[in-house]
Amino acid sequence: MAENTITIVSFVLTLMVFSYLLGDLPLIGNLYRVAVYIFVGMTAAFTLIVSYEGVILPYLQDIQNQSTSWTALGWRADITIFAAALLFGLLLLLKPVKSLTWLTNSVFAVVIVVGASVGVVGALNGTLFPLLHATVALPDDLTADFNALVDTLLIFVGTMTGLYYFHYQVRARSDGSEEQSRVGRGFRHIGKAFLVTALGAIYASTLLTSLTILTERIGFLFQFGA
Amino acid sequence: MGRGQRYGIALSAFVAFAVGVVTALSLLLGDNPALFGEQPGSAQLAGLLALPADVLLRLATIVVALSIVIGIANLLTVHVGRLARGKAYSAVMLASFGFTVFWYVARQGDTSLLEAVQVPIESALAALLCLSLLHGGSRVLGKRADIWGLLFVAVVVLVLLGSLPLAELAPVQAWRDWLMRVPVGAGARALLLGIALGTVVTGVRALLGQDRSFRG
Repeated sequence: MAENTITIVSFVLTLMVFSYLLGDLPLIGNLYRVAVYIFVGMTAAFTLIVSYEGVILPYLQDIQNQSTSWTALGWRADITIFAAALLFGLLLLLKPVKSLTWLTNSVFAVVIVVGASVGVVGALNGTLFPLLHATVALPDDLTADFNALVDTLLIFVGTMTGLYYFHYQVRARSDGSEEQSRVGRGFRHIGKAFLVTALGAIYASTLLTSLTILTERIGFLFQFGA
Repeated sequence: MGRGQRYGIALSAFVAFAVGVVTALSLLLGDNPALFGEQPGSAQLAGLLALPADVLLRLATIVVALSIVIGIANLLTVHVGRLARGKAYSAVMLASFGFTVFWYVARQGDTSLLEAVQVPIESALAALLCLSLLHGGSRVLGKRADIWGLLFVAVVVLVLLGSLPLAELAPVQAWRDWLMRVPVGAGARALLLGIALGTVVTGVRALLGQDRSFRG
């Protein structure tokens, strides 16, 4: 597509989305919705294209080539895997048939638990163990860098109390009411301070990012107008 | 619920449990010869253990791709139905979908539409997010004027001021860097660890068949 056409289309679409700021005025109010529906249609189309060209087509080409194999089981196993996947895909189409819903659910079950297993192993190896290790790791030379030691201790306290904030525990009084321990309440307050600080920083970072994009878009509109 | 359906649901749970445990064990133990020491054949054993996860992940990837295709077909069917009831926006959506696919096929993989349409709309929506964030933030602070609200505002102001490229604000930038490295790092770690623990618990619940999402 020509560069000028791309610029004009971008300009019109940006104005259509920004018309949201004018509210529900007659005719103008519809422009934002039209832009969003164009966006949805295009996203669906590109998702379809990526699913087909990025996953289905390469697998389809691979199973026709006897010299390549996805697993150590060989080319015939690839055909079996692909055929099983196609069968599973067909079973997904049976969802509207009430008496056969369990078959569709079995397919979902396989996909969900495979995803859950990847999630569990990924969370353990990728987040939980490395973060715990980094949290409890001390600086190499404790006496040389006192500030680093204080920072490490602060990070440790912040992480632990932050995690404790999500834990709710009360003890029962003799009159039947419930009470939180003072130590537990103190930990929760310290944890909350760290969490509020983190959320404030995340909010400010998101604001900065969107502000940068806003200025870029406004700059583009003025540049086009000039 | 008939007896056949009950057996079907029990079968779903059993299949889910077996597949999940095999995949998790295969991912944890597979392709890691160090786990089995310096013994001969440990590499082959590790490769063998990685095989079930490899097969099941490929199977799941193709099924997910097929389910995306089915989902998009369903989206189109819904919008054709809405169009028949006179909803004009659905015509815009269908036209946009059809035009994109036609353009991509006719121009043999040309993605200039992505640059001309998708990117400007996404950028403009992200730009609107700035105004929504400001509006939402001011409303929340108006309703919660306590110590935590003040702390939140102080952090936001410090981070924003620290981002300004002004030499006069060098001390603020130093404070901001420390804030991002220590308290924000600690809070973010707590949040990430919470998410990881939640993922593990939810994953184990799915493996044990406690989640009802696929039981019917």
